Amino acid sequence: MKRASRSFVGAKAAGITLAVIALTLLPSLTSSNYFLGVAVSGLLMTVAAAALNLVYGFAGLLSFAQLGFWGVGAYCSAIIVMDAGGSFWSGVLVAAVVNALLGLAFGFPILRTRTHAFVVATITFALLCNLVARDWISVTRGPLGIPGLPAPYLLGYEFDRSARFYYIALGYAVLALCFLYALGTSRIGLTLKAIKQNEPLAQSQGVAPLPYKLAAFTVAAVITGMAGAIFAFHLRVVDPLIFDFYYMQTFLIIVIIGGTGSFWGVVIAGGAMVILPEVLRFSNDLRMVIYGAILVAAMIGMPRGVAGWMEDRRLASLRARLR
Amino acid sequence: MTVDPTYALELILNGLMLGLLYALIAVGLALIFGVLQVVNFAHGELMMLGSFTMSLVLPFFGLSYWPSLAVAVIITAVFGAAFYEFLLSRVGQGEFERSILITLGLSMVLLYGAQYIFTATPRMVDTSWGFDGIEIGAIRMTWTRIVAAGVALAAFAGLYSLLRWTQIGRAMRAVAQNRDAALMVGLKPRTVSRNAVTLAAALCGLAGGALAPIQLVQPGMGQPIIFKAFALVIIGGLGNIPGAIVTSLTLGMLESWIGGFYDIVWQEGSVFVIMIVVIILRPEGLFHRGGIRVG
Repeated sequence: MKRASRSFVGAKAAGITLAVIALTLLPSLTSSNYFLGVAVSGLLMTVAAAALNLVYGFAGLLSFAQLGFWGVGAYCSAIIVMDAGGSFWSGVLVAAVVNALLGLAFGFPILRTRTHAFVVATITFALLCNLVARDWISVTRGPLGIPGLPAPYLLGYEFDRSARFYYIALGYAVLALCFLYALGTSRIGLTLKAIKQNEPLAQSQGVAPLPYKLAAFTVAAVITGMAGAIFAFHLRVVDPLIFDFYYMQTFLIIVIIGGTGSFWGVVIAGGAMVILPEVLRFSNDLRMVIYGAILVAAMIGMPRGVAGWMEDRRLASLRARLR
Repeated sequence: MTVDPTYALELILNGLMLGLLYALIAVGLALIFGVLQVVNFAHGELMMLGSFTMSLVLPFFGLSYWPSLAVAVIITAVFGAAFYEFLLSRVGQGEFERSILITLGLSMVLLYGAQYIFTATPRMVDTSWGFDGIEIGAIRMTWTRIVAAGVALAAFAGLYSLLRWTQIGRAMRAVAQNRDAALMVGLKPRTVSRNAVTLAAALCGLAGGALAPIQLVQPGMGQPIIFKAFALVIIGGLGNIPGAIVTSLTLGMLESWIGGFYDIVWQEGSVFVIMIVVIILRPEGLFHRGGIRVG
């Protein structure tokens, strides 16, 4: 058994190394700006989905507020660069700080509610953000948004082409995913899972659920917000469409297909769900129809996602062997 | 601040119509939640289905209002019944995430499917009444608006009678109050749930059909209304039908008045701000009496 698990770990490490090398070399493998653009959205959306996985998969909070944090991050960085004269990097940093404060301030009251009320309240938060972006014209410039975001630069090096901007997205994705992985496998991650599985039992073991949940909620807010901040500069424009429910649905479908609570499942699903439809050249509407159908089918057939389904199969075969 | 009486009356009538419409949607949501413990994300799309049916069917009846409305209601109701039979009936008690994601998936299929087939271009819907209406003093009301309000009121009267005096309605209330006890006295949860979803879908079809000639019909029309309806149902207490009606009417009025005097941001945002305050102060909703918990 032990050897088997060790070779599995080895295969995993090799897979990760290969994936990172392939991703690093991607801009020299293809010159298509379109494809690199897809890769940038894929990376950032995967990070956002992994953050949602922390909140939903680990802490068991089905939060639609991620959409709000995503958009708020985008607006923060855009406003810092365009109106406050800051750099792209300080914009992303401000997005992180604002989202941390927002996550704490909003998470505290909202975590008092449970199940349905929590879900609806988090949706409301995202909608409120959208309304503010649309109607607070003096700051956000209203429905027309903030166009013409400049390319980020660092020490005189300008990330002006897709091939260069890609590395910002890749760097951030690797950092954020490593952090989320470390968090998920740490004691905090395990405690969150315990709270999700049986809250009263976790409480009886001396765990106070609220601080853990609040921490997960806030960390996810920061990571999603920073991803959104970078995404805005990928699009080169921020308008209220950044709060389109479509993004939230994409994050959700990635988490569901990858399997809630499964880190690698979500990362792989993130790559697959963003890149596959682009390769197959579906129109956006048709893609969302298919996503919706997949969501329904997965919930009917595989409520725990592909990773959960495989885990069940693995446990079943293990039990069969033990018998 | 002095308020012109004509203007005030206009605001009140407008608010009343808005509120009645919200109430039709919110009542359906509350009904489904009360009986099935499911928050229906596809509710706005059911309304959109009603609107599109109305707009597509009207030409076949020579633009005549009533038969088209009837077809819209029937089609939406049948869709609702199928929705329950094929999807919702598979969701067990307490699987709230599954129910949310299934209804969300269905809403995506309907919304983007409609966008794929009919494009996102808004369509004007004309009835044989056109823009005819009546004038009371300085106020003009089109027939389509008056009929929409009347239809909503009639629907509430019908719903009240149904829930109060018929066996079908009593069964729904029984299941909402205590599912296990209802099962013990011989009610079939499946039948009762199907009735509730069908009824809620019919109300959606009615709202959508009545709304079609009043505002532009487009695939995304259900989304803003459904999110508002969520907030209303939370404020009123999830699963609480009178609560949903009272908060809907209040909100309709409030929005109309705020919109008449302040910026549009307050008109759209007020309901969400109120909801957050209510959640902080009374997580169970304003009209909570025990029985059905919010979460």
